Amino acid sequence: MTDKTISSRPSPQEPTSHPKSLNGQQFKQHIAAALTWLKANQQTVNSLNVFPVPDGDTGTNMVLTMQAAYNEIVNSSEINVGKMSKDLAQGALMGARGNSGVILSQILRGFARSMDSLPEMDSRTFVNALAESRNTAYKGVVRPVEGTILTVIKDIAAAADESLKAGATFEKILEDVVKAADVSVRNTPELLPILKTAGVVDSGGKGLYFLFEGILRQIQGASLEAASAVVQPLDAINIGQAMEEIEEGQDVEVVIDFKPFKELDLQSFYQDLSTIGTSIQVGEGEGMYRMHIHVEDGKQNLPIEYISKIGLWTKEARENLRAQMPSFTLAEVQPGQIAVVVVSPGEGISRIFASLGAAGIVEGGQTMNPSTEQILNAFENLPTDNIVILPNNKNIILAANTAKSLSVKNVSVIPSKNIPQGLAAILRINPDGVFDKIVEDMNEALSEVECGEITIATRSVELNGVGVEEGKVIGLLNGQLVVASSSVEEACMQVLEKAETKSRERITLLYGNNISKDEVDRIGEVIQETYPDHEIEIHSGGQPHYQFIISVE
Amino acid sequence: MTTSNNPIGSIFLSHRAIATIASQTTMESYGVVGFTAKNIASGLTQSLAKDPTMGVEVTIEENSVTIDLYIIVEYGTRIKSVATSVAENVKYRVENTTGLSVKNVNVHVRGLRISNTD
Repeated sequence: MTDKTISSRPSPQEPTSHPKSLNGQQFKQHIAAALTWLKANQQTVNSLNVFPVPDGDTGTNMVLTMQAAYNEIVNSSEINVGKMSKDLAQGALMGARGNSGVILSQILRGFARSMDSLPEMDSRTFVNALAESRNTAYKGVVRPVEGTILTVIKDIAAAADESLKAGATFEKILEDVVKAADVSVRNTPELLPILKTAGVVDSGGKGLYFLFEGILRQIQGASLEAASAVVQPLDAINIGQAMEEIEEGQDVEVVIDFKPFKELDLQSFYQDLSTIGTSIQVGEGEGMYRMHIHVEDGKQNLPIEYISKIGLWTKEARENLRAQMPSFTLAEVQPGQIAVVVVSPGEGISRIFASLGAAGIVEGGQTMNPSTEQILNAFENLPTDNIVILPNNKNIILAANTAKSLSVKNVSVIPSKNIPQGLAAILRINPDGVFDKIVEDMNEALSEVECGEITIATRSVELNGVGVEEGKVIGLLNGQLVVASSSVEEACMQVLEKAETKSRERITLLYGNNISKDEVDRIGEVIQETYPDHEIEIHSGGQPHYQFIISVE
Repeated sequence: MTTSNNPIGSIFLSHRAIATIASQTTMESYGVVGFTAKNIASGLTQSLAKDPTMGVEVTIEENSVTIDLYIIVEYGTRIKSVATSVAENVKYRVENTTGLSVKNVNVHVRGLRISNTD
């Protein structure tokens, strides 16, 4: 009765017919299904972010928390369901990541407390446990914010109680729970204004919904994989966008545009592609499809051969991923010298920092904040004790400071909030200078540069009096939204104007991996015409999401 | 007191105003169940702040702010995650409502509240 396509990792085994009560092992299978389904929908949850630039990670945090919980029980042969849920809660506590992860761990903790050490779980104990989940979740905060995962667990507990009173079976109760969770999630924008402004539902609540839906789907024998067939907007997929995802042996990136002969069955399309390669993505726009895949060297003809069978291809692009591998050398430091460690979101930017004397580079940026540990690793083994860190993103400054506090070295964090500030700061480095003086100089440099950023809004939103529709080009100046436009060129020009470029001398453009060189050159010319007396430099930054990072000095 | 300029005059923000924003944001952060006075030696710890700025210390240098929070966390939550969320929330809210740049948010977990024993 289970669909055959259920994921192998973690593997929910064939469920037994839904019995009146569950033992520990049956409970474990349900948890596996919940985790599998949440994983399948992780990107959907991540995409529910509230700010106009991509920064969502709720889905990832919930998956990591749930995975840590599941890891605690995966090899357990416990048949007592109460003990099993206690282990599960313990795993969630230890692995809780982010706000949503902490709340999820409280939900599981309440659940486990209510189960005590009952050998089996029946409808009544399940419903009671959900009530205790709600109570425990609410106890963790003085002023609960409604319209969040808290509201959703509250509505779930209420629905379960009602369903039990009406004499429903375990399966029917679960059905009602999933229905109630769905309604509750849809209602979150009515309770929390920021969700409404951003045009999204609450991400944590949606994650919780997927956990329960996963269990229900398993019981009903539905597939737990379907959600992996996500279709993105066509422009979201481009060559060179997946730098960080390179796997061993997947050397060539292929992107093909095509028109299918008949309506595309995404499920089987994904399945066919997965026999050819990895990192599969599919985009759609006005009857056209774009597919992205990584394949082994020598197999780069397979995707186009396959596409030719199901449709008419219009354009193909290939890139050798090996050739994209780091092509810069870091500065070597001697004991006693000052070493600069930078956080960089893209290959080109790393290269520039390296050429300016960076001794350590940590990959990271807006959507991929590096951990404290990654930052520590970048300088702990350097032969000198004098370290300067340039986080280059305001969300990374905290992690850099933590790295500082964990290190025995003499570390100073220069709070650079963006790449232009980082570049301005690193120009002040003199490896043999006096540490305090250099740090002072670098801090001073931060205020001498304006930072413009051009990206695409991932949500419709209104911020700082600027109304933005999803898909529009937006321009940020020093982190604040200042312009929304339909063209990259116009956004660039407006950001430059707001930065009072006229009274400055130099403009540096770092272009991202989501814009063509032709367009970059064209925009560069327009800028040169408008600011004929300025010194203008254009470099490939290779950063994701941002068409341009602009530095005005 | 910190000052920022606008075209028709100056804006003055007191420590207390910033502390109130930080305090309210902290109270909405999941896992935080109260503040304690910074000075434990005074012997009084309260789990609910009556003074809107109790347990919050704001240091201002030029236009950057450092905020110290002295909090009590619910027992049974992952303290590291709770503290990280608090710091992120407070930084975001203070920066976005005041326009100041927040340099550091230091979270001091001064105690745990046990509301249920497992």
